[in-house]
Amino acid sequence: MKNLGLTGLAVALLALALLVTACGSGAPAGQGSPGAQPKGVIRIGAAGPYTGDLSKIGLDSLNAIRMAVEEANRAGGVDGYQIEVAVGDDAGDAAQAALVAQKFAADPTVVGVVGPMNSNCVNAALPIYEKAGLVIISQSATNPALTEQGYRVMFRVCPRDDAQGPAAARFIVEELKARKVYLIDDKGTYGQGLADQVEAALKQLGVSVVRGQISPTDRDFSAILTRVRQEAPDLVYLALPNPAQAASLLIQARSMKIQARFMGGDGLKEKDQLIKGSQGAAEGFYVTAIGRDVREVPEAAGFVKAFEERYGAMSIFSGQSYEATNILIAAIRKAGVKDGKVDRAAVRDAVASTRDFRGILGFPVSFDSKGDVVGGSIYVLQVRGPDFVEVKAYPIGGK
Amino acid sequence: MGGRVSFLAQIPQQIVNGISLGSVYGLIAIGYSMVYGTLGMLNFAHGEVFMVGAFGGWLAMGLLLPFLSGPALVLPVMAAASLTAAAVGLATERFAYRPLRRAPRLAPLIAALGVSMFLQNAVMLATGGRAKTYLTSAVIPPEAGITLGGTFISFLRLMVVAVAAVLMLGLDYVVRHTYTGKAMRAVAEDPEAAAWTGVSVNRVVAAAFFLGSLLAGVGGVMVGLLYSQVDFYMGFSAGMKAFTACVLGGIGSLHGAMVGGLVLGLLESLGVAFVSPVYRDVIAFSLLIVTLVLRPQGILGRVRGQRA
Repeated sequence: MKNLGLTGLAVALLALALLVTACGSGAPAGQGSPGAQPKGVIRIGAAGPYTGDLSKIGLDSLNAIRMAVEEANRAGGVDGYQIEVAVGDDAGDAAQAALVAQKFAADPTVVGVVGPMNSNCVNAALPIYEKAGLVIISQSATNPALTEQGYRVMFRVCPRDDAQGPAAARFIVEELKARKVYLIDDKGTYGQGLADQVEAALKQLGVSVVRGQISPTDRDFSAILTRVRQEAPDLVYLALPNPAQAASLLIQARSMKIQARFMGGDGLKEKDQLIKGSQGAAEGFYVTAIGRDVREVPEAAGFVKAFEERYGAMSIFSGQSYEATNILIAAIRKAGVKDGKVDRAAVRDAVASTRDFRGILGFPVSFDSKGDVVGGSIYVLQVRGPDFVEVKAYPIGGK
Repeated sequence: MGGRVSFLAQIPQQIVNGISLGSVYGLIAIGYSMVYGTLGMLNFAHGEVFMVGAFGGWLAMGLLLPFLSGPALVLPVMAAASLTAAAVGLATERFAYRPLRRAPRLAPLIAALGVSMFLQNAVMLATGGRAKTYLTSAVIPPEAGITLGGTFISFLRLMVVAVAAVLMLGLDYVVRHTYTGKAMRAVAEDPEAAAWTGVSVNRVVAAAFFLGSLLAGVGGVMVGLLYSQVDFYMGFSAGMKAFTACVLGGIGSLHGAMVGGLVLGLLESLGVAFVSPVYRDVIAFSLLIVTLVLRPQGILGRVRGQRA
């Protein structure tokens, strides 16, 4: 009982803090009449994994989005209105992505979304975005099924895994001359989807494939690596979205003296956690990338310099995030501000009609009728020393 | 595919993996058992104490690496980790559980869940949710070891087993031959009677938390070195596995925790030699269910009268 004073004070402070946070947080939904849009506020939603395993990549993307918005605002915004970024953290989790989608859908000032970044998140959130007519442009969700279900609001600036898989297979067969490949995925939407694509493409080229699975939270790979050692493949392909997990696997593989080469999907092209985190075990590791490293693109030089000055080294999807944001802003400008409001359907139509957008990705961006990007290539890079080096490029749709 | 031959050939390697993994489970399980033995409470936040210890070790490693390297790092890092873990463990006992000592059984359990969530989120916010790397190769290169037959035994895994063995023997000595140990056993038997004989129950409970958390902290460093990555979520599954190990071996019994840990580690590792590694957790928790149904007192436990 004698502690009630202190405890009471603590409880009161906690309640006060919660009250302040609840009142201070963004979305005006619920205030005033539904659908009433305060004049002069235009928001772009940013959905992605800003906490959790994938947060490094997510936060770098968010910074790129913010940069694009700031530049647009400095150039006068949209019809004189300034743009704001509404942040929606989904932590790479499908359930949370759905909540973020609901939050954005309910906020009438959000007229477009850049993200989500993960295929499982897009999958969960699409029905909600579709119902709200809110257009999304994903910078990194590569699962092919996302644009095959007839959603009108789905667009992406990255290629699909049914392009990444065959490109990886070609490289494995033509350049690495591998005849037996062990495929590891983590049963997730992205991982398993990519592994399926790689397997199908490899089988077509006459390579024998063994599949293995781990869980996303696995840290002890001795079991699966013992199997890999038994099978003695020429190459082990990691269809995993988590660079830290892959780094741990590579270290343990080296400890078990596995002789195979290693290759991974686009989610693993990350400097900090994969290259540094693997403490040398990633040397020689191949990785497919669904976009050119923007540092190699002449048009992106200004963006790269500005980003790295402010935020340091960027991870893989920063360039795509910047591009997606700019495409969205261009679409909002095209839709125009009427009566202090922007119409979501008009923005969506403007995005769909994007043709030959010249940004920083190194090729003119257009969207096809399904929402996929036209053009682009799949790149293969290799870890040499502290960085990734481009080794081969396979144009999509070409030879 | 491999066939029968390759499965059998895997077994020695999986036994090596299982013993090192089981040693770590045992280290964490002991803390669970000690607290259950003295307080009759399942400290669900114990997994988070292990996780905090792992991060404490990571911090220490970052600070010491410019000055030390190689196996000399092990002892100071372990010390830092175990002390961090012990501090957190003692704090949770003092502020979350002691006030509830006389409350109904459910209250400390819920408090433990609350502490667990608090610690998880605190570490998540402090680390940005990202995994931190243990620079194992600067301590003991993971590929250094001896190969017997087709089985590779890394020095790293040998060290883990050795450290766990030494600590468990040390704890055994403390429990059997020191006053504190005797007091702990007394409180575990009957706290009221122990209090009548002049044992300070508060001190004993604090000692149990201290020792248990110390061991969990060391476990955290071992896991960090073995897998090179620590993240804020690792305490959850480690805690569940440690709890399983306790039940398997006999909850409340220290030897039971050690045995349970080893058995769990071995059965998990041998199990995934036969089925896909994805089913690792399924195997562990199926064991838990089977034990609870068929032999709830565990391997070393005796059927208890009143203390449930």
